[in-house]
Amino acid sequence: MTNRPSSLAVGLLAGAVVLLATAATTTAHHSAAMFDDKKTVTVEGVVKEFQLTNPHSWLLVDVTEKGGKVVTWGFEAEGPSTLRRAGIKPSDLRPGTKLTITGNPMKDGRPAAIWVNAVRADGLKFDPRAGFATK
Amino acid sequence: MFLSACGGGSAPASGTSRGGAASPPAGSIPDRTREQLSELGRQHKTAQALYEALKAEARGGQTLAWAAMPDWSGVYSRPADKGFTFDPDLPQGVLTSAKLTPEFQAKLEKRVADVKKGIEWDPISTCAPPGHPRWLTEPFLREFIVTPNQTWLVNEMVNDLRRVYTDGRAHVPEEDRYPLYNGDSIGFWDGDKLVVHTNQLMAGIYQRSNPDYTEQVETVEIWRKADAKTLTADVWVYDPPALAEPWYVKQSYVKLSDPDLRIRYWNCAENQNNAVFQTGDGTTQFNDFTFTAQDDAQRGK
Repeated sequence: MTNRPSSLAVGLLAGAVVLLATAATTTAHHSAAMFDDKKTVTVEGVVKEFQLTNPHSWLLVDVTEKGGKVVTWGFEAEGPSTLRRAGIKPSDLRPGTKLTITGNPMKDGRPAAIWVNAVRADGLKFDPRAGFATK
Repeated sequence: MFLSACGGGSAPASGTSRGGAASPPAGSIPDRTREQLSELGRQHKTAQALYEALKAEARGGQTLAWAAMPDWSGVYSRPADKGFTFDPDLPQGVLTSAKLTPEFQAKLEKRVADVKKGIEWDPISTCAPPGHPRWLTEPFLREFIVTPNQTWLVNEMVNDLRRVYTDGRAHVPEEDRYPLYNGDSIGFWDGDKLVVHTNQLMAGIYQRSNPDYTEQVETVEIWRKADAKTLTADVWVYDPPALAEPWYVKQSYVKLSDPDLRIRYWNCAENQNNAVFQTGDGTTQFNDFTFTAQDDAQRGK
């Protein structure tokens, strides 16, 4: 099954795939070669599940397409301790939480991306990459 | 007395110790500039020779006493603002500060060229530990546990622990050595400095887009608390097949201010969504995700 960002309408922000130069992507454990760090995708949706696991956590977000079909997107981030260092806690993103989330998408079109940033409906922002700061 | 001297420094030092205990005596190994440290590596043909020379400078080294230990407590991490490269002082745009043999220079150039083409595979992708000396580069949580006879260097990633034996034991006899992820580490104290020699290592890479090392790789490290928030390690790497001369780098680990950071068990295989495989062209691809149709990964094979 393919869920290319450009095929999504309702629930996705206009121009879901935006060509942008972004900072080089790094991940623990595996290369990020399967992601396109020159593109970003932004979706609006509802948290389905927050998998706090090593070496990577995954935020699963249900996105409702035009026509009502629900597609689950996976956003990959670092493990729980790095997320904590970024100020991201399990209680921040409980199932049902509405948010807008941006990532570098998979090159092969599957609905997954490296989580770059997210904004909850109440305006609170979450940048998992901030977890590598030594403060 | 902070240290029971086996040979021993004499002058007072400003080392950090627990609970206001007596400061350690100054070590005998002098502070050196970066260039002098690099040159020190070049002056010795092997890691063993450098280690022995440092031990001679330290007049045999010292053994810690429980009564007063250096305070390396806290949770640390390696600054990642310059990326994860093995040499944190590598200037932007420079491939490596190592002087590689032609074969290993060619390997590095191919690796970097492949990355530019979107082809990259990390040997730890299937959850193997990074192994030393790559161990030094990972950007996760660290703890440093000092006891008189052993110092434990802890990396949160895959629950990775390096044990440094400081009880005077020697390395495993050569005929009984076999490759280990973190090798065999022995050391001694010189004032507030911990000097470590590591051999018996596995081949690996220093980090992604960094050079390879072979099973002949050995390191010498001098660890110390540079200030209240920083542990540093002067590191010399010897690896004759890959390095035309010893490679000196300085690593730093910063104490994190969050008082409630806790290191948890790290099970690298706990989430199917993190499982990857190496494709036919040598790059990395995810297996099937749990949140998509089950044959999704076939497109990448």
